[in-house]
Amino acid sequence: MRVGYFSPLPPTRSGIADYSALLLPALQKRVDVVPVGRRRRLGPRDIDVRLYHVGNNPDAHGWIVDTLRKKPGVVVLHDFVLHHLVAGLTVGRGDGHGYLDAMEREGGVVGRLLGHGVLDKRIPPLWESRPEAFHLAGEVLDLATGLIVHSRYVERRAREAGYEGPVWRIPHPAWEVPAVAPAPLDGSPLIGSFGNVNASKRIPQLLEAFARLRRERPDARLLLVGAVSPGFDLDRRLQRLGLSEEGIVREAYVEEDRLWSLMAACDVCVNLRSPTMGETSGSVIRQLSLGKPVVVSDVGWFSELPDDVALKVPVDAQETETLYAALELLARDEAARGAMSAAALELVRREHDLDRTAELYVAALEQALGGDAVSEAVLGDVARAAAEVGIGAGSAEATELARRLAEVELGR
Amino acid sequence: MRIAVCSPQVPFERGGAELLAERLTFELKAHGHDADLVTIPFKWYPGSRILSQAFLWRLVDLEEADGRPVDLVIATKFPSYVIRHPNKVVWLVHQFRQAYELDRTDLGQFSDEPTDRALRRSVHSLDRIALGEARKLFAISGNVADRLERTLGLQAEPLLPPPQELPYRTDSYDDFVLSVNRLDRAKRIDLLLEAAALDPSLRVVIAGDGPDRERLESIARERGLDGRATFAGRVGDAELTELYATCLAVYYAPVDEDYGMVPYEAYRAEKPVVTTADAGWVTVAVEDGRTGLVTEPRAAAIAEACGWLREHLDEAKAYGRAGREVSERITWGHVVERLLS
Repeated sequence: MRVGYFSPLPPTRSGIADYSALLLPALQKRVDVVPVGRRRRLGPRDIDVRLYHVGNNPDAHGWIVDTLRKKPGVVVLHDFVLHHLVAGLTVGRGDGHGYLDAMEREGGVVGRLLGHGVLDKRIPPLWESRPEAFHLAGEVLDLATGLIVHSRYVERRAREAGYEGPVWRIPHPAWEVPAVAPAPLDGSPLIGSFGNVNASKRIPQLLEAFARLRRERPDARLLLVGAVSPGFDLDRRLQRLGLSEEGIVREAYVEEDRLWSLMAACDVCVNLRSPTMGETSGSVIRQLSLGKPVVVSDVGWFSELPDDVALKVPVDAQETETLYAALELLARDEAARGAMSAAALELVRREHDLDRTAELYVAALEQALGGDAVSEAVLGDVARAAAEVGIGAGSAEATELARRLAEVELGR
Repeated sequence: MRIAVCSPQVPFERGGAELLAERLTFELKAHGHDADLVTIPFKWYPGSRILSQAFLWRLVDLEEADGRPVDLVIATKFPSYVIRHPNKVVWLVHQFRQAYELDRTDLGQFSDEPTDRALRRSVHSLDRIALGEARKLFAISGNVADRLERTLGLQAEPLLPPPQELPYRTDSYDDFVLSVNRLDRAKRIDLLLEAAALDPSLRVVIAGDGPDRERLESIARERGLDGRATFAGRVGDAELTELYATCLAVYYAPVDEDYGMVPYEAYRAEKPVVTTADAGWVTVAVEDGRTGLVTEPRAAAIAEACGWLREHLDEAKAYGRAGREVSERITWGHVVERLLS
């Protein structure tokens, strides 16, 4: 089996490029994989299966969707909400009609009218203000001959969007923990937050909860690693909450080794977000690999983390209060942190092992390549036997047969 | 409790899995339950027939029989666990091994053609769904449980079946090594014959029958083992008991074996077991230097191990006695208690 692998790769700075850099070598040990970049975007001709990594960033994934349109294949859907990607492929290329069509396809006339509002600059761009309201994944789903997802959440959303093809759920693989020493940072506890500093990462709620924690635990420190998004006035917020420089440690973009070192220094890692685009967090995977207790928003993939590795904070009116309670619990209870750490390491060993992930990819690709023939053969066998004893299509018995087949995912 | 024990059957063939299902049914009855054995013929070729045949189990309605509820189903071997029941317990004898560790070996079934590769994956998928539905998962050995976790990420509790009931006894430690097994390639009886070829004083008795018999007899002839290698064929209980009672040791070294009753039968007759380091679960059942010898999978190493036992009869007897203690701890009472827990 020869696989064409369409994905951004380092030095592109993206979570999906990092993901592919991790997965590709493990996959290449098992099957013949040809990485395809934007310069040879169609890839070689003798490819048996095409594997397209699709995320929400138009700069990194626009060319991949262009190729997908020409040659459908298996799509790894890293984000479910693709509004930003579709905006880049349409509005970003001067194709306003394309954007209107995409909006109408999903939102009907209302969607089209909203699209006009965006193009006429009467309302803010929806891909920035309310991307989750219109996922715009329809075209990619139409073109996908199979879907690989990382979470039940994305699988469910894809089904709700009408996708009927095969779906394989494959956990995000974990990186091998590098031999780096924890960064020498004070803090008891030291709480880390990694990623862009903005409202969708719930930084305002985190700062408020942390400020309250610090009033009772003056030794607590908050490590904020990541660039501050434009328009997010972090300094003013810190000032208003009375968070002195001593309470906060800030670093902007950091290289991989430094990232691990900073994570290793933390007692607790906080990973909040809302809305979710259906993404999986490579940052959380790294933290779990280090055995760190994590606090997450109770949304999307994050909700699916086992309860013994993550404290989940619902995004509701009590969000800050719940977050404070979670931080307070973890600051106070060393045994709880220890139990969460052990559970995290076990989860990574069991679910996120790189070799296991690569095996699951090979399984999915093999099914993508030969699965239809197998399904047809099984259906043929069953249908022939049914017809021989007078069970016709549309009868109650045939419906029962179809239901039983579906239960065990045979004859799709 | 009304319990249905589910096991596939290959018409005109009987092996360890069939015996186990029958015995389990018997023991459930002996423990006061209303148990019955439910079987469906199974054919795993050609092509996708394996899936359509497995699917037959999905159509069976065992929630009740003759108007009375069936409280529990205990499924044993692929594909019987595809059955649908609200209270399904699986005591896994083994998955369809050709789709797993035997794939791309001489014993495999699926070619490199895309349809065959996909077919193999569909077997995995079916297993994941059907086994994942079970209220409880047990495996007949740690080997089977480990493979299940490794391949499908499902966890099962190892629960060893006791050996068949025979009037085991210990008469003597004569000069022959006994093999009790179905004669097929995976059981690796040819290694024992090659060992006998290397050690002119080694005598072997091979009990059992199967598709590899002709090849094995030909090896024995070519190596000039006439008189030192006896093919006893399929033997009855009395003869088997006699062979166990009088042999020096028992050889048992299938490739990556999941479970076999032979080591524990040998132990009941206080006989040590010779096996190889790549024999899977058997290397757990045989404690090297305590209940038998674990050697490299080479004829010379097996010949040496058999020779050593003959030269060190006291140790051979002590190993057998230690094995008996181990074997007697594995009881049907425990099996029934766990399966119904």
